[in-house]
Amino acid sequence: MVVALTGKGCEIMDGRQYEIIALIMRYWFVALVLLIFGRLFWEGIKKNKAELEEHLGHVLFFMVLLALSSFSLLSFFDSKVFDIKAAILGALISAILIFQYNFTKLLFPKFDRILLLTVDTLAILGFIMLQRLKPELAFRQVEWFALGNVALIIFGIFAKKLTPGKRISYALIVLSYILLILPLVLGKEIAGAKNWISLSDAFSIQPSEFVKIILIVVLAERLSKEKGFKDNLPIFAFVAMLVILVVLQRDLGAALLYFCIFMFMYYIATSDWIVILSAVGAASLGSLASYYLFSHVRVRIEAWKNPWADIENKGYQIAQSLIAISSGGLIGLGLGLGSPQMIPASRTDFIFSAICEEFGLIVGFCVIGFYLLIAIRGTRIALNAPSSYKALLAMGATVALVIQSFVIIGGVIKMIPLTGVTMPFVSYGGSSMVTSMAMIGILESIASDKNAEEDENEEDENENEDEELEPADED
Amino acid sequence: MKLMKRNIKRGLGFIIILFLLLGFYLCYALVFYGDRWFANSYNSRVRMDGWQPKIIPGDILDRNGKILATTKETKERNPKTDEMQTYYYRSYCSESEKARSIAHVVGFHDPQLGRSGVEAFYIKYLMGYNNSLLERIYQKALLPQERGNDVVLTIDFELQQFIDEIMGKHKGAAVVLKVHTGEILAMVSHPTYNPNSLSGEMEGDKLYNRATNGLYPPGSAFKIITAVSALENLEGIMEEEFICEGKLDLSGEVIPCYNEQKHGNINLSKAMIYSCNTVFAQLGASLGRNNLIKTAESFGFNQDFLFKDIKLVASKLPLKSSVSDGKLGWTAVGQGDVLVTPMHMAMIGAAIANDGTMMEPKLLKQVIGRNDKLIKDFEPRPFKKVTSPENAKIIQNMLKDAVEEGTGKNAKIAGVNIAGKTGTAEKQGENGEWKNNAWFVGFAPVDKPSLSIAIVLEDLPEGQTGGSAAAPLAAKILKKAMELGH
Repeated sequence: MVVALTGKGCEIMDGRQYEIIALIMRYWFVALVLLIFGRLFWEGIKKNKAELEEHLGHVLFFMVLLALSSFSLLSFFDSKVFDIKAAILGALISAILIFQYNFTKLLFPKFDRILLLTVDTLAILGFIMLQRLKPELAFRQVEWFALGNVALIIFGIFAKKLTPGKRISYALIVLSYILLILPLVLGKEIAGAKNWISLSDAFSIQPSEFVKIILIVVLAERLSKEKGFKDNLPIFAFVAMLVILVVLQRDLGAALLYFCIFMFMYYIATSDWIVILSAVGAASLGSLASYYLFSHVRVRIEAWKNPWADIENKGYQIAQSLIAISSGGLIGLGLGLGSPQMIPASRTDFIFSAICEEFGLIVGFCVIGFYLLIAIRGTRIALNAPSSYKALLAMGATVALVIQSFVIIGGVIKMIPLTGVTMPFVSYGGSSMVTSMAMIGILESIASDKNAEEDENEEDENENEDEELEPADED
Repeated sequence: MKLMKRNIKRGLGFIIILFLLLGFYLCYALVFYGDRWFANSYNSRVRMDGWQPKIIPGDILDRNGKILATTKETKERNPKTDEMQTYYYRSYCSESEKARSIAHVVGFHDPQLGRSGVEAFYIKYLMGYNNSLLERIYQKALLPQERGNDVVLTIDFELQQFIDEIMGKHKGAAVVLKVHTGEILAMVSHPTYNPNSLSGEMEGDKLYNRATNGLYPPGSAFKIITAVSALENLEGIMEEEFICEGKLDLSGEVIPCYNEQKHGNINLSKAMIYSCNTVFAQLGASLGRNNLIKTAESFGFNQDFLFKDIKLVASKLPLKSSVSDGKLGWTAVGQGDVLVTPMHMAMIGAAIANDGTMMEPKLLKQVIGRNDKLIKDFEPRPFKKVTSPENAKIIQNMLKDAVEEGTGKNAKIAGVNIAGKTGTAEKQGENGEWKNNAWFVGFAPVDKPSLSIAIVLEDLPEGQTGGSAAAPLAAKILKKAMELGH
């Protein structure tokens, strides 16, 4: 069939026909994403969990529809040939989704299904955008997603069983130092940051991503024991060391992220405002100093203040991102009809702008909403966790995912200075995808843990908590 | 554990706040700046590719239907494919040289050099990005070439042409507005360029639009604002008598009248008519920083103008809270660090003429689609209430007398009744010689104002002032505009 369709000079679809179809299908995509978002969000903030699972099968159906229809459209993107690979990839993604859903439903009935479906939807949007920007990367990203699912299952099984003692903690701390020192020694510089270890030409990993998990586990373990300020001093040293190491790699995004994770977890464990405020003060002083000391920090800040002043150099990325977002309008220019390739790093850091351009602002808001939903579900899991260690672990994973998405979305829309972090589940990148899926695995593990050994006494209390939580959820 | 649960909820609350901020910021930014970002010259999505344009930009017309810009085609050899192909390019005015007068309004659209002016700011309409889905599908499916919409401006090409001629070799800018609607009838900036042959025009500041981007010290023309502030804040100011001794010492800073002329006993009206610096410097000092800034800001100073139709640089009135009386005095007569664009000055004149209501400047009249279908018709938008109608009337009378018997005498010509204020700001050139910027801000006809004008001429030799150089030009321009029926 392919051969027949790709005959020499035979155009299977006129370029304008593709444009017309893409123009019309904009509405279909927006409707689908809105529907998925509406269903998930509505179910996600409901109090009653009992009848929940029954209703979610059709959300999966809509997600498969989204993947299949967009990849079918993209298989006609190049009007000269019918791109059978795109169609196959669409089918493959659908298969993975259906398999993942049914497999986890069968083996792990207590998993938080809403969380899983939210993550899947974000991943689908990422696949679509990557297929549109650079098809080879989309295929690899699907591989990463599959690998991420493996990580999810592994962490889903083991995270609840492992309660690391002091020894394992120390081992993890040493491991994290090694992981972060490696790129400084062996690493290559990508976009001004030296935070990669390259294993071969086509394969390099970003250790600062994996260190996030170690950081969360160690912090949860150390902070869950009730202790005074003095006992926590080693933790400060540990976090400070990690932050210094990533700053040395010029990975400001990771530094900011580690700091935020620490702040959240420390506050939740100790409610110690004095430490939090003084840490924030110290961090502000540090960033002020780095503004005067390092030129790359200054460049970032200037580009943030007014990207249009030096649009050809410093401001180029952000200006192009803003132009792309404003070009999209509410429902987007249409899949394949925009020019997201004009934005530098549109496949990784700036993928949100690319989505806004071609899918429109409504889908952009849904993406923001999906991350908010992750926060809400993650918090719920943390609230229902059986031990303070697990509550901290769950909250740490939630905060890591959500703050990271806030930092990058805020950066590309010029709300805060841009720091290069990936957008979890959406941006291209294996380290990021596997780490993010592993964190979902941690969350799912704690979710199923709680449900499996549900304590009757705690049930009433939790119900009350949920009621208190409700007003905050409605936005 | 209980405490921890409370903290976890607080953490969620914090995250929710962050995300709400994210959403609000995105909305806010796109509502206020989205169109400007889209219109940016670096947006290659709406760049016309000369060889294979997806969409051909529409025409730009003046208010009488004269074509100011259109897309033309020629057969040329494509350097890439080495074949004879149709090449599309933008062409301005039927007679190429006449395009100079409207160059800064219309701007240019060049595949290499980018876009400017209306060609940039209204690219959404010109490229048909505002079209409905059905229209776009129709064009894609059934027409051989997609085409954007035509844009009708409020500019009167004939008036524009006239101003360009009488400004001659002078550097400077002139803006004519309709006071009730804010429509821009003419907006000239000198020196200008020919958008039809851009390659030779890139050097110097020819591309710089002085009318909207040029920040000038307003000189005595600023006294309009000082007077409004005095009327609003100092009771019985109209009856008060001042004594002018030719110069005034304000805490060490000496502020002289022009040529240190002594005006003797004088009231506010007369001070405005004869442009007496000492009186206005005293007013500045007795008003104080806060009142002066408040009034100036009600006129739009120190504010980002986010107009729908034009990009206008913010006018500046920087006064520190510890400002000295001397500095206040200089500011009140328009000399200190006050900076204003000619367009803003014309808006100020129009606001006084329009009984205290400032209109948003309007450049876009209509958008016309395929088969001359009217797609959009734009209504005038009020921008600010700058002062009460009574105060505006008082200022109107002062400005009338200023032309009748005061500094603006040269604006008195047969056939039109003009009111207005002159201004002269001195600046030292590179070689140390003093040069004047000459202003005239005014409106006509006096009893039922319909037009306002602001004109500034740069780098005049010493001795030429707003009264002697700018006022006569302004009068001729207003006369021409009235002859054209505005």
